[in-house]
Amino acid sequence: MSVPRGRRTAIAVLLVLLAGAPLLALAPAAPGAVRVAGVSLLWWYTGLVAPLLATAITIAVLVRRGE
Amino acid sequence: MTALAAAAVWLQPVLLATLALRVAAGDADAPWLALGALIAPLVALVAPPRRASGSNPVAAAATAAAVTLVLAADFMVAADAATLLGAAPWLGVALAAALSLLVPLLPGARRVSAPALAIAAGALLLPLVSVALTTGTAPWTAWSRSGLRPSLTFPETSGWVRDGERFARPARLTFAEGQRVTTLTAGVYRVVERDAAEPTVREWRLAAGETLTLRPGDELSVEAGARLRFEAGRRVPGAPASGIAWADAPARSPSMLPAAFGALATLVGGALALVPAPRRGPSAATGPLVLLAATAAAVGWGVYAAATAPDLALGGSLLAPILWLPLRALGPRTGAPLAVLALVALVALLLTAVVALRARLADAAGSAPARWAAAVGLAAALTAAPLDPWRVLALGLGVAAAAGTPPLVAGGRAVGLVGSIVGAAVFVALAAMPLVDPAMGSWLEPLARYPALVAMPLGWAAARALSAMTGRGDATQSIVRK
Repeated sequence: MSVPRGRRTAIAVLLVLLAGAPLLALAPAAPGAVRVAGVSLLWWYTGLVAPLLATAITIAVLVRRGE
Repeated sequence: MTALAAAAVWLQPVLLATLALRVAAGDADAPWLALGALIAPLVALVAPPRRASGSNPVAAAATAAAVTLVLAADFMVAADAATLLGAAPWLGVALAAALSLLVPLLPGARRVSAPALAIAAGALLLPLVSVALTTGTAPWTAWSRSGLRPSLTFPETSGWVRDGERFARPARLTFAEGQRVTTLTAGVYRVVERDAAEPTVREWRLAAGETLTLRPGDELSVEAGARLRFEAGRRVPGAPASGIAWADAPARSPSMLPAAFGALATLVGGALALVPAPRRGPSAATGPLVLLAATAAAVGWGVYAAATAPDLALGGSLLAPILWLPLRALGPRTGAPLAVLALVALVALLLTAVVALRARLADAAGSAPARWAAAVGLAAALTAAPLDPWRVLALGLGVAAAAGTPPLVAGGRAVGLVGSIVGAAVFVALAAMPLVDPAMGSWLEPLARYPALVAMPLGWAAARALSAMTGRGDATQSIVRK
């Protein structure tokens, strides 16, 4: 995968991760309100899973030299 | 530019303080704003550098306006800090403006700024780690406990109960249960009573020390600077009805989607326009890591504030959760130094942010010191208006997104200029709608709040369509920035 293509993919994944938050929060039947270990799925997603994934993806793209 | 220096443009005190307050208050949009505050700059860091055609006079003017508005929002936080510490708000603004004028001129300011940003983000996390270790409460445990409380009431240790506290900005408090409120500053207090079919409005001119008796459903309007004392054990007015309401915000419904995507589009577009592209390599990892640490700290402050002292969000002061949480959670002896550390971290963030904003302004509109002085002066003047800091920040990021990003997808300078003009014109028209028609339809409200949701794609569409028509550039090219 070329670096520009990698960047495009990374941007797309980041935007999907971002859009997931309001969709999870505002979807009918409120799936984001489901509790997992005492914390809502929405906050596990926005407070832990998505931030760690997004940061890891960004670092992976930024540390690659070239282009 | 290093990734760390690029991140400095984004990590504004107003952004982090707003996140902390919104999480503490249980605002419906807090989760996606917290995620947007992190992912928006990450998108900007990953996006490729801008081509030489990526600027024009309209985009430059929008960047200058954005820098001024972001500075103004930061100065409003400085005014909050002054109010919380018992000083006049203008003193905080004057101090912040003076530092903003002088610090970027110091030799080596840009070189020191990046490491200072990393240290400041760490310093913002340190008090939270201390609270977590001392109380033996992990962040998820604090969240869980907050979400299980039957009601959010004033604790005995609350400053609102003991000596009373000041409202940083005007507020309308709705009382869920009866309460006696003591006024500690003389003034006119407006109460809307809703116990009959028709609401009754009463205005009370009260001296310091007099008491207002409020019934369930009553609404009390408070002016900025008013100091009030509440009763211990009573529900915090305006706070969520219970822990479950704090955790799950009953206001969340699919009708919030336009505003949610408007806020996220504003954040991403603003970041693309303002956050410069960094150098790549192993050291670039520090930028995303510091962004993660700072936004995690802001969310953490909010969660612990909600768990420890749900009344901290009452006065509307953005800094109350950050300044008072260590004192309330750990007591004055241990908490005071940590509160000072958090304040110093925020001041350091302001300084790194102004150094980065000045560089951004110089890059877009020229490096004449008079331009920076004008931006700082105008920003300080804007704090005199009774504006919400988040609204001011969103306007700044929004105008940058609407007029600053179309050149990124344009095939040439002239095409980019057209895109910027379209974006700016739509942005101004939408942002001005509430002034032209205060009774506009509720479906237009998200567009007026976040005009970039429509203005940015229209600017992009104009630039791409013109690029395709004139054959200048590839209409399917990816975003390019500098």
